[in-house]
Amino acid sequence: METQRLLSEPAPGISASPSEENMRYFNVMILGPAQSPYEGGVFKLELFLPEEYPMAAPKVRFLTKIYHPNIDKLGRICLDILKDKWSPALQIRTVLLSIQALLSAPNPDDPLSDNIAKHWKANEAEAVETAKEWTRLYASGA
Amino acid sequence: MFGNYGQRYIVLTEKDINERQEEDIGKVSAVLSIRREEACVLLHHYKWNISKLSDEWFADEEKVRDIVGLLLNGIDLPNSRKLTCGICFEGYSSDVMSSAGCDHFYCHECWEGYISAAISDGPGCLSLRCPDPSCGAMVLQNMINKLAKDDDKVRYARFILRAYVEDSKKTKWCPAPDCTCAVEFVSDGNYDVSCNCKFSFCWNCTEEAHRPVNCETVSRWILKNSAESENMNWILANSKPCPKCKRPIEKNQGCMHMTCTPPCKFEFCWLCLGSWAEHGERTGGFYACNRYESAKKEGVYDETEARRERAKNSLERYMHYYERWASNQTSRQKAQADLQKAEKEQLAKLTDVFGIPETQLKFIIEAWSQIIECRRVLKWTYAYGYYLDDKVKSEFFEYLQGEAESGLERLHQCAEKDLQSFLTVRSDNTEPAPSIAEFGDFRVKLAGLTSVTRNYFENLVQALEAGLEDVHSTAQGTTSSNATNIPSKKAVTKGKTKKQLPRTSSDNSDEGWPCERCTFINPSSVDACSVCDKHRY
Ligand SMILES: [Zn+2]
Ligand SMILES: [Zn+2]
Ligand SMILES: [Zn+2]
Ligand SMILES: [Zn+2]
Ligand SMILES: [Zn+2]
Ligand SMILES: [Zn+2]
Ligand SMILES: [Zn+2]
Repeated sequence: METQRLLSEPAPGISASPSEENMRYFNVMILGPAQSPYEGGVFKLELFLPEEYPMAAPKVRFLTKIYHPNIDKLGRICLDILKDKWSPALQIRTVLLSIQALLSAPNPDDPLSDNIAKHWKANEAEAVETAKEWTRLYASGA
Repeated sequence: MFGNYGQRYIVLTEKDINERQEEDIGKVSAVLSIRREEACVLLHHYKWNISKLSDEWFADEEKVRDIVGLLLNGIDLPNSRKLTCGICFEGYSSDVMSSAGCDHFYCHECWEGYISAAISDGPGCLSLRCPDPSCGAMVLQNMINKLAKDDDKVRYARFILRAYVEDSKKTKWCPAPDCTCAVEFVSDGNYDVSCNCKFSFCWNCTEEAHRPVNCETVSRWILKNSAESENMNWILANSKPCPKCKRPIEKNQGCMHMTCTPPCKFEFCWLCLGSWAEHGERTGGFYACNRYESAKKEGVYDETEARRERAKNSLERYMHYYERWASNQTSRQKAQADLQKAEKEQLAKLTDVFGIPETQLKFIIEAWSQIIECRRVLKWTYAYGYYLDDKVKSEFFEYLQGEAESGLERLHQCAEKDLQSFLTVRSDNTEPAPSIAEFGDFRVKLAGLTSVTRNYFENLVQALEAGLEDVHSTAQGTTSSNATNIPSKKAVTKGKTKKQLPRTSSDNSDEGWPCERCTFINPSSVDACSVCDKHRY
């Protein structure tokens, strides 16, 4: 089963453990990638496998507050493979790696959060500072 | 199929569509030497444009294959060893694993789920690719038929059929609910088409048929209606207070001639609430309740004074046109129901009572068909009138529209009410049963009104389609109060090439006399036209 594979072949900087009450629910942790504004942060996510999985995409959401143009206030993520580009041949592991990659390469041209994307485009340096600040405030792992 | 010659359009049943599609697929598979299911996805990709597909195929087959995801050589199954499914990670023997021709093998259970999810997402399943995100291999229909659930196979085939109609620039579905036909449009020009299901629609904009009004006016009008729908709800109400006794009177008939319930019995016009007695010869035969200006002048809107104060002038004007548009729509639906009733019950009953064979009762069916068509035209002329802002043209238009409308009201009333007296057979003998001679008179009257009304509407349609161009040269200085001083008599009679009524060879008074105004041939025993009330001398 995929879950065992996920646990036995962990990706660097990512962990996922199924909840005890519900085997479809996973607690996920992603470390902020090096050389990104999220470096040093520990981000908590929840991942839920819907009934139709793997024919339908898993549902993933950030629990830790994060300042990122493709992630909104509720932690929802704008990522194509979680929507129309989903394929059952993708795995939970691929999804989490893609989310980690999104932290390294924010894409303000395809925003989920308009305000943050505007900020990013108008003054990237300042936006990056805010992201670092939020990482310190909310994702210090404490 | 032969004899499409001169047809403006062709109605295609589901079977026709299927045959054409199979024919196209067969042609392409023969010319490109590929399998039918490959031809099918290629055609779908090229929107069933065979010449474009074959041009590009023969220019660069490899490129086309690459874009569409058609692999040149399928990969043979690795010898019957155990494989791991790339979706569920279970191990299976290779005979229960399949790939889309590439080397990504999945178990049949996972394939079934994958295909099912794609099909429930909609017609996008027609370009379903291998589940591996890096692979573009197309999943062909033979895979679907091998691996999908039965109802998914049916749905997939339906999507192919739909795509055939929807991708083509020349075919469109009939918009009638529950109709499965499509219509292929062949020529230019008049877009009105009539489907096998009897629904008439404009092929260009797929609204119901709206000749002689153009698509642009129709879409503006429909948009306007939806913007104003809240203000207009009261108009759709099916009852109005009687202008005399103020009791609410329900409109349950198609014609606009209302008669209040006893003891009042006041006869009035549903549209203008004016006395019906003034809708004919007594006003010089001039029908005016289609006119916004005269309705305003005479203050008949006083009934709605409170509403009027709230409403702006422009809204009031819109209401005038909208109410007439909507009333004609309702009347048309009523007439359609009446036509069915006539076909299903009334003709048989008349045959019973009068011993007239049904073949000789066709004039009743013709009358109803004419009413239905005229209500449709008349309805759309109100949208036309609303956007017409040339004063001279407006006057001419309203004259033609008024003539047509008053003719239609007489016809509708005759079909609706006069017919009733022949259908209610009295068993108590309180009144003498109508004689066969009376029925003959009714036949003459109804058939005459049908043909007169047809003439009026042909004139109206022709004039509108010509953009009311005749008006400037001929209609100067006419006023709307004098019926003998008809604006543009030229335009009114122009184009009337055929006379619908049989004409007698001379003015022989034994044969009856033709009415000067409406062309109806009257019996010599009457001095006023039985159709339009105009006097003979
Ligand atoms: Zn499987
Ligand atoms: Zn593949
Ligand atoms: Zn139809
Ligand atoms: Zn149209
Ligand atoms: Zn009354
Ligand atoms: Zn009236
Ligand atoms: Zn007449």
